[in-house]
Amino acid sequence: MSIQNLFDEPGLKQITVWGRGVYENKEARDVVVALTEAASKEGKYIQAWENYVDLPDRIFVPVRAYGKISTEEIESRYVYENEAPDIVVLTEETLVKGINILSGIKPGAVLVINSKRSPEYLIKFIKENTENLSKIVTVDANSLSKSVITLSGAEGATDASGIGKGISAALVAAVVKGTEIVKFDNLLELIANKSVAKKAYDQTIVVDADSIQKKVFA
Amino acid sequence: MAVVPYERIPFAGTVPSPQKENEGMITGNWRTRRPIVDSEKCVKCQTCWINCPDACVNLNDDKPINFNLKYCKGCGICAEVCPAGAITLVPELDFEE
Amino acid sequence: MKTNIKRMSGCVATANAVKLANVDVICSYPIRPYTGIMSELARMVADGELDAEFVLGEGEHGQLSVVYGASASGARAFTGSSGVGVTYAMEVYSPISGERLPLQMAIADRTLDPPGDFGSEHTDALCCRDQGWIQGWASSPQEALDLTLMYYRIGEDPRVLLPQYACQDGYFVSHILGDVDIPSQEQVDAFLPPYKNHHVLDTKDPVIIGPQMEPEMGPGTQYQRHLAVEGMYKVFEEVHEEFADVFGRKYDPWLEEYMTDDAESVIFLQGGHAETAKNVAKHLRNLGEKVGVVRLRTFRPFPTKQVRETLSKFKVVGVVDNSVNFGISCGAGVLLTEVRAALYNNDKKVETVGFVAGLGGAMITHDEFYKMFDVLKNVAKTGKNEKQSYWLPFEL
Repeated sequence: MSIQNLFDEPGLKQITVWGRGVYENKEARDVVVALTEAASKEGKYIQAWENYVDLPDRIFVPVRAYGKISTEEIESRYVYENEAPDIVVLTEETLVKGINILSGIKPGAVLVINSKRSPEYLIKFIKENTENLSKIVTVDANSLSKSVITLSGAEGATDASGIGKGISAALVAAVVKGTEIVKFDNLLELIANKSVAKKAYDQTIVVDADSIQKKVFA
Repeated sequence: MAVVPYERIPFAGTVPSPQKENEGMITGNWRTRRPIVDSEKCVKCQTCWINCPDACVNLNDDKPINFNLKYCKGCGICAEVCPAGAITLVPELDFEE
Repeated sequence: MKTNIKRMSGCVATANAVKLANVDVICSYPIRPYTGIMSELARMVADGELDAEFVLGEGEHGQLSVVYGASASGARAFTGSSGVGVTYAMEVYSPISGERLPLQMAIADRTLDPPGDFGSEHTDALCCRDQGWIQGWASSPQEALDLTLMYYRIGEDPRVLLPQYACQDGYFVSHILGDVDIPSQEQVDAFLPPYKNHHVLDTKDPVIIGPQMEPEMGPGTQYQRHLAVEGMYKVFEEVHEEFADVFGRKYDPWLEEYMTDDAESVIFLQGGHAETAKNVAKHLRNLGEKVGVVRLRTFRPFPTKQVRETLSKFKVVGVVDNSVNFGISCGAGVLLTEVRAALYNNDKKVETVGFVAGLGGAMITHDEFYKMFDVLKNVAKTGKNEKQSYWLPFEL
């Protein structure tokens, strides 16, 4: 018996969302929950969870939330992290600096950043693992909404404050524009702040990574 | 997530304690704003040094003060307490290194 | 049957079951990973969804003492803990069981120190296996909800009157979301009658609960409890039948079998890792291997007869222990020793191999189960077992 490829999951897409403790950990969680619930409406199999060891009660510490969307039943459910993300979302722009956010990305991966700076400027800070990066998407979510700070929903408890009230509404719209992982209308039904999502969808900038890498590192 | 081989686990899990700085927990990348000091206004009163929760202010006898950017988390207490208003917080991404 | 399916973690499912069971007293103290249950219950009490007395304990020993008193006064009580919290309250478990107070404790597993690790291991709950409580593991959030309701029903049955540990793997079951069908209040009221006990602390009719005794009364006191435990097997079977009638979900009270019809080697384990084992067995069956998985649902009381009858159908059984029991007979873990004891009187010898895996909360990967099945296949073919126990991943 050979175990090569026996447990492969070809229809699986993995999403990793980075945030900063206390300020954005609810927003990070909202992004994965909104995207996975919308995918579930379209008949996909999903899983959404937060990283167990990133204690989110420390201000500014980088925290992660993960999501999985698959066309078949997900077999690798009991994992702590997403080893090979297809979509990486940064809810705060400074996370590009000094943190290995693109570790393990698959070919065709898309990076979404909440920033008003240009993608050409931001990519200079990412020092490793940029080979498989295909697109960079930026949206200025902070000008459209404010980040909601709450501990409701931490540790897997029910979130009493609602999904998509803050900057997560803008971020999920940007993810959909850059990757089309779910239909935008299915997403709009789930999030509370629909006008922000629609405005963000129009204002999102999508840039091909190869073209700017050639310009920056030429 | 690969399991660490058992030979590499220190005896009983005991590790040497850090004395000056903790190389195993470098927190400079928690920072979203960097403190910058205007040495013209600074009077070396040492208020920022004593209030920094992480001891990240270097007093530097003949030179202006500077900050230990390896560990500074950008909390901004130094800027709040400086009586001369010499410290400002600048977004971290404005600096390329 | 109408369904109300929501996506939630094991912690939130347990909290919903506690709300439906109309618990009277809850005592909390935070420790990861079970703390999600208490956050959710606190929110329910604050929002008025649940009418219960929510007491903040000053430690796990305090938690158990508070619910001990509450249950003795006639209230349905609930508490919980994880890891070293479970061992901190060790002193109080035996009195609660000896005085026949059917309160419930939810344990979301966590390793014991050292090191300070949040990951799950069954050791903390297994430390309390001899205290005279009912104990079993849930392997999904749906089962965590069902287990809470069933254990209250079994524990408060007048023929039993014993406390219960409703255990689940920390993080794997308690934090990862799964689909849960939440029953209606009418269904739960039909299944779970109000709590009544023989003795209740009441100023109008005073009793002494747990008085001082002489050694000559010792054997009788314990034998009385032993008879209650022996009588529990029948109650388990009756309650599971009733559960299937009211809620529509059928659980075997002792063992869950997966693809065991003509299997030669099976993996035997309890808890959430069974889900990964089932996936591997499914892939191997597609390749023509004769494998299966047997999951133990109830650990105390241990179903000796059912384990022996079921496992005697196979050639070799790989017992996976997710706990540390240093120095135990046969060198692996508790489950291996108990399975071997159950198979002792079997006519045909069934080979058993012990695997200690998933320690410290490390995932038991698909590859590790695959290697375990490979070892079992060799033992089934040659009939010989060179190594009694394997500590993964270093010895396999």
